[in-house]
Amino acid sequence: MTCDKDLLVGYVYDDITPADRSRFERHLAECADCRDDVDGMRGTRQLLTAWAPPQPDLGFRVVDSRSRPAWRAWWTPALGLAAAAVLVLAAAAAVANVRVTYGGVTVQTGWRTSAAAPAISAAPQPVDAARVDASYADIERRIRQLEEARASAPAAIAVSSPSRANRPTDDELLRRVRALLSQSESRQQQELALRVAQLVRDFDLQRQADLARIQQGLGRVESLTNAEAASHRQAMDILYRVAQQK
Amino acid sequence: MASDEELVARSMGGDLDSFNQLVLRWERPIYALAYRVIGREEDARDVCQETFLRAFRALGGFKGQAKFSSWLYRITLNLCRDWIRRQRRTPIAEMPEGVDLIELASESTPVESIEDLVARREIGRAIARAMADLPSEQRTAIILKEYHGLTFQEIADLLDCPLSTVKTRLYQGLSVLRRQLAGAGLNGPLRPQ
Repeated sequence: MTCDKDLLVGYVYDDITPADRSRFERHLAECADCRDDVDGMRGTRQLLTAWAPPQPDLGFRVVDSRSRPAWRAWWTPALGLAAAAVLVLAAAAAVANVRVTYGGVTVQTGWRTSAAAPAISAAPQPVDAARVDASYADIERRIRQLEEARASAPAAIAVSSPSRANRPTDDELLRRVRALLSQSESRQQQELALRVAQLVRDFDLQRQADLARIQQGLGRVESLTNAEAASHRQAMDILYRVAQQK
Repeated sequence: MASDEELVARSMGGDLDSFNQLVLRWERPIYALAYRVIGREEDARDVCQETFLRAFRALGGFKGQAKFSSWLYRITLNLCRDWIRRQRRTPIAEMPEGVDLIELASESTPVESIEDLVARREIGRAIARAMADLPSEQRTAIILKEYHGLTFQEIADLLDCPLSTVKTRLYQGLSVLRRQLAGAGLNGPLRPQ
């Protein structure tokens, strides 16, 4: 058998079939060059164990930023305060009791119920948008007619009289407006409650994440301190050993 | 303990914790591979991080024909090759100058003296220099075999070359290293620890 470097490498790394191993060992007994190669490679392999990479603190983690709430990407304490201020202003505006009376029609905002306003039902009914539009159009038409009636003669009233029977009365209109306003108020209350709950939940999540980060940092500091103390201890041991030898 | 294959399957189902377990399991070998191939600590760290990011993004394309570790090694070697191409330079043997006794003492084992450790460090430096001088194919084959324990066939698959080429690269690389180290006065095995 001639010198086979593939077999030699397989033999040195012990990555060889039993049949090839037997064959190569028979050759090795006769070939001084291959014996020298095997010895030299084994010695080199032994030396290679001394090449150790550094041991840095890696700690890589893959974090899916898509699962993070969008607001957290730009959320800062300053923006948080600004958002809170806007919320307070919105709440104050909603609470303010503004009352405007024009041409016999009264429009009122705010959560406080006036004496004339109907009580807010515990479970507000959904608002029919088409019905609301129709009612507001009716109110506008009615206001315009009242203005015209006041400015001109009784004839105008006569002109409008044939259809008057089919139109809602002023009291009825006021009742409808108040009902609509009350529905709108209760809807606003629900939305505000939802937003406040969301804000509290997000704040709580952020707080928990911050606490976890702080704990992680403290753990790292502690381990560094321990490592530092250990190396000091070992340095003292070395000095003590050196002193003993001298 | 869950196998790589189980963790990969869970990761593909969207379980990020499982993927991070794989990262924890493989970050040291991947860092060591990158460090030995390109020779720079910081760049090796970047390559290691990029390897896991790429693996995470490409997880859907991992069909499991190869072992997960082989797949990671392939990504790492591609990134190292890109790094070497980008830098337009050969890997360097970046070893700290001087010997910090305190640091060495913290690495010593109860049976290894400081003198042995200093000697080991010096040998490590000489090897790093000799490895940096090798052609990259031979260096990569030796690193994968010596430090990562891959079989000849796994190395051949990873480097897309025939089995006999892997053995030839190993033989030639080890022969050159042997001569270089002998020239540096290192031609015997290390003292047993």
